[in-house]
Amino acid sequence: MSSDSFTPRHAWLPRWMTSEHPLPWLLPAGALMVVFGIFPLYKAIETSLYKRNAATRKMIFDPTHNWSKVFLDERVWNALLNTLFYTGVALLFQLVLGMLIALLLDSDRKGYGILRAMMTLPLVIPPAVTAMMFLLMLNGSFGVLSRGIIELGLLPPGFSILGNASTAMAGVLLAEIWQWTPFMVLIMLAGLRSLPKEPFEAAAIDGASAFQVFFKLTLPMMSKVIAIAVLIRGIDLLRAFDYVKVMTDSGPGTATETLTSYAGRIYFGNADFPYASTIALLTLVLVIMVSTLFMRIFKVKL
Amino acid sequence: MELSRPWQILRDVVAVLVTGLFMFPILWWALTSIKPISAIFDKDRVVFFDFVPTWINYGVTMLGMSRSQLAIDQGIGMGVGGAEAYDSRRSIIDSMVVSVGSTAVTTVIAVLAAYALSRMAFRGRATFLNWVLGQRFMPPIAILIPLVTIYKTAGLRDTDNLYMGYLGLMLIYALINLPIAVLLMKSFFDDVPKDVDEAAMIDGATRIQTFRKVVLPMVKGGVAATAVLCFIFSWTEFLLSLFLTTDIRTVPVKIQTFVTSTGNEWGFIAALGTAAVIPSFIFILLVQRHLVRGLTLGSLKE
Amino acid sequence: MSFRDHDKKTFIADTARAYAERRISKRDFMKKMSLAGVGFSAFAAGLLGNTRPYRGNLGLLGTEALAQDASVTQWLKDVGAPFKGTKIRYTSEATPPTVVLDKLKNEFTEPTGIEVEIEIVPLEQVLAKATQDVQGQLGTYDLYYLDQSWVATFAQDTVDPVAYYKEKPDLAMPGFDFDDFSKPLVSGLAEYEGKWAGIPFDIPIFMLMYRKDILEKHGIAVPTSPAEFTAAIQKITEAEKANGMFGTGLQAKSGHYSLNCDWTQMVWNEGGSIFGADKKFKGNDEAGVAGLKLYQEWIKNAPPESLNSTWDGQFQMMAAGQCALVQSWDEFFPGLDADDSKVKGLWMPAKPLVGKPLRPLSEVGFGEIPNYAHQGGSILGLSKYSKNIDPAWLFMQWACSKDIMTRCTLLGGFAPMRISSFRDPRVKEKAVVGPGTTRHLEMVEWIIDNNIASEPDMPLWAGFSNNEIPVNLGKLLTGQDFNGDAKACMDTIAASIDAAVAESGL
Repeated sequence: MSSDSFTPRHAWLPRWMTSEHPLPWLLPAGALMVVFGIFPLYKAIETSLYKRNAATRKMIFDPTHNWSKVFLDERVWNALLNTLFYTGVALLFQLVLGMLIALLLDSDRKGYGILRAMMTLPLVIPPAVTAMMFLLMLNGSFGVLSRGIIELGLLPPGFSILGNASTAMAGVLLAEIWQWTPFMVLIMLAGLRSLPKEPFEAAAIDGASAFQVFFKLTLPMMSKVIAIAVLIRGIDLLRAFDYVKVMTDSGPGTATETLTSYAGRIYFGNADFPYASTIALLTLVLVIMVSTLFMRIFKVKL
Repeated sequence: MELSRPWQILRDVVAVLVTGLFMFPILWWALTSIKPISAIFDKDRVVFFDFVPTWINYGVTMLGMSRSQLAIDQGIGMGVGGAEAYDSRRSIIDSMVVSVGSTAVTTVIAVLAAYALSRMAFRGRATFLNWVLGQRFMPPIAILIPLVTIYKTAGLRDTDNLYMGYLGLMLIYALINLPIAVLLMKSFFDDVPKDVDEAAMIDGATRIQTFRKVVLPMVKGGVAATAVLCFIFSWTEFLLSLFLTTDIRTVPVKIQTFVTSTGNEWGFIAALGTAAVIPSFIFILLVQRHLVRGLTLGSLKE
Repeated sequence: MSFRDHDKKTFIADTARAYAERRISKRDFMKKMSLAGVGFSAFAAGLLGNTRPYRGNLGLLGTEALAQDASVTQWLKDVGAPFKGTKIRYTSEATPPTVVLDKLKNEFTEPTGIEVEIEIVPLEQVLAKATQDVQGQLGTYDLYYLDQSWVATFAQDTVDPVAYYKEKPDLAMPGFDFDDFSKPLVSGLAEYEGKWAGIPFDIPIFMLMYRKDILEKHGIAVPTSPAEFTAAIQKITEAEKANGMFGTGLQAKSGHYSLNCDWTQMVWNEGGSIFGADKKFKGNDEAGVAGLKLYQEWIKNAPPESLNSTWDGQFQMMAAGQCALVQSWDEFFPGLDADDSKVKGLWMPAKPLVGKPLRPLSEVGFGEIPNYAHQGGSILGLSKYSKNIDPAWLFMQWACSKDIMTRCTLLGGFAPMRISSFRDPRVKEKAVVGPGTTRHLEMVEWIIDNNIASEPDMPLWAGFSNNEIPVNLGKLLTGQDFNGDAKACMDTIAASIDAAVAESGL
């Protein structure tokens, strides 16, 4: 390009209205956040301070009602533990599997491009649909996965994985891990591909083993990628809803009830909007706490 | 890394097997979509290929045909079924419009914001970034009612105006995708040395000109990768779409139509689920190379 | 027949001429022919050049297509003219009448120019969307599809159709006849605190269904009481387990309304009730606990997947031949008789099980009606917040009119709301084995007249029946909590429900 393709600055505009100032750049994002994010958040907080009478539908201002109830509600604590367990297990599997599969598929050989594309396919299926798929595949009487496990003799005939308090969580996690491991693979692959060549060449000359290279070089150099991937995934996992709702309806009992699915039940079933808002806000606090802690510990800089 | 031949073959085999494992549920779903109900639910065995394929499910969901009519043509009566309620072509279009639109909106907004956040030093930069990330923290349930009210006031409901309805859904998807898009784009901008901007500005270019003609072309790959992720998240979103729109029914919402009071239309669910994968898969194949190259999530070269 | 022969012949003649002169396409021609009741199926199959023979009963499917009485069309034209171009909406579960209505609605839209958009989602989402709409008084929906368990919740948001019919004589559909609706349906479904919250639209009701071949094979008589039923399913499970068959199949999905439906029936069968006259939860009294214990026994004789099954799973079990005796929704019948069904013609309808004497109405609260046949009926209510209340009212009358309701039954094979539909010769004619059969309807009519039960009418019931009750039952039945102790489970439910009722001041 040449300098004469640039027109002179608009000196007559105040500076904050020109592109020299950050304001015009941030305005669209800021406006979107205020209108659709921050204002509804404010409304949600406001709602949580009311008490709703289910019979008359009247909302009475009673700021402590829901917030004291939420800490005494056993189902909230159960849901909190389920949420943390769900998030932890799913993250662990997705991270490890994602890394391994990324290493496996990171090759320039013919055909690997197609494999990588196929690997991303689970991501484009809506979670609500994935949940239906796994609901059918895990059906104790008719499902291909359940029947397979039963054939192997690991479960008694007809065993309902999703209808059993001890196995339902595993069933839901299976769908979750299947769908989102590819997300990790994608990000890990990108990370692997952008690693500089020199250190690896040096290590090869020094005769380092593959394990040494992985733990001493690849992993530390990928740490930022991994941290951001875990952060993004973790935020979504702490708000897990679709799989639990469709596959087990938070059940059996409350065995797979997460904070958001409990909030959903209170919202849709009991129409207790203030209490549902309270539980949802509690989830928000949890996400903020966990992610701040995570960013501190792993020194993630946005 | 160079591998000896037997190891390379082993790796190829494992890579194909692992990808196959992840493809299995999708293939099974595709198979389910052409099975008659009696083959989906067989109490004695899992039916793999031993059935007479039926195209009824596609005829009804993708061609808007009447099931009774198709059943007659195929020589099997399968009960009743109205054509209109199950015709899903509109939903694929709705999903495409909303996903593509929201991807465009998000990308533009996020690129602008990310550039300023990467290039300009100003007070509150870190706070702004935290707020952006925070948009993904919110469980959607907490903001459903406030959002519906905002949409009513702003005329963004599809029941008032269909096009405004599309816009409304695009905007809320833009908000939930904003964090990922801004974080990604910021890391791409961070990768471009600041010297590039300075050189252009010494030439007399304004910020906006520097951005458009110099920096933006350098992060094209990153923009593509960001767009794909935004597309995927919009394509698969369920809860907001369910509650914010009435006439617009994206694919995940449409599939719920098949959960009926006399049992689920599993064949239709499978057919629409399978058909809806195809547009996204084509999209992913097209941008596959950008995707992996683009998703480096920030500088690893420092 | 409501279809006049003369009109029909004229219509056919006109259409045929139009086709011959190429004024209309082949597709339109076929459509019109089918409207006139000319063997659509045979005709179309022939025109499409399909050589595969159709195994079903052509005569039956021929009755699918029936045209609207010309006087109705004329009335719609006259009265609908001022509302041309408006669009009315409602959200509904995909019940057979809704799906059929969605197909027929063009017959309303063509003469009136009023568009109708039916948003079909699962039952719980219908509740959520309706709740959201009334909370914000948004007026998104002009009509509400209300399940019987929420009628009390939404009664204050609807217009009384009987009153509105009188109030707006110029919009009143001639010969609508509110008295034609079955009385038990009106009192059990539509009425709340002396007014009609809507018009009965759908009535799935519990009946006993049995596999006649299996019962004969084992020399079991059709059970008439819960005790006989229990003995029968135990015997069948024992004998048929090797064949992958169980005595019964249940809709016992934890946390789902379907489990609540099964449970209420068990309580009523033991002479219990959900609420007492003192407005306290009574599921934990002797009768209630006995009912739940019996249900625990039934679960042992059902496929384990019952614990994660809604009505969908239960239907699949029946259709796949996995169980032999089921007390559940009559609406399963037409699907069981479909041509590709493995059990076509094998399931038989019977009267619901009769248990201990019912608890008298004087001893129960909140308008609950204990009886032997749980029903999951629904009504179509006219929204107070609708901005298109008059066009919506026209559609509602049309959709609930004699002719349309009868035709919905003919197309879907489910129980009609109107006495005249039960009596309709076309409905009787379809009472043979085949897709869309009506062969169970005689029994259904008897059950509606004699055994119809009703869950409590109270605004909190939608919440209890979707949360507290099925969640805690799920804990018990799947062994998550309570260690198999039915009483402990019921006590827990009682504590939370009594507290909620007291808090609401009901």
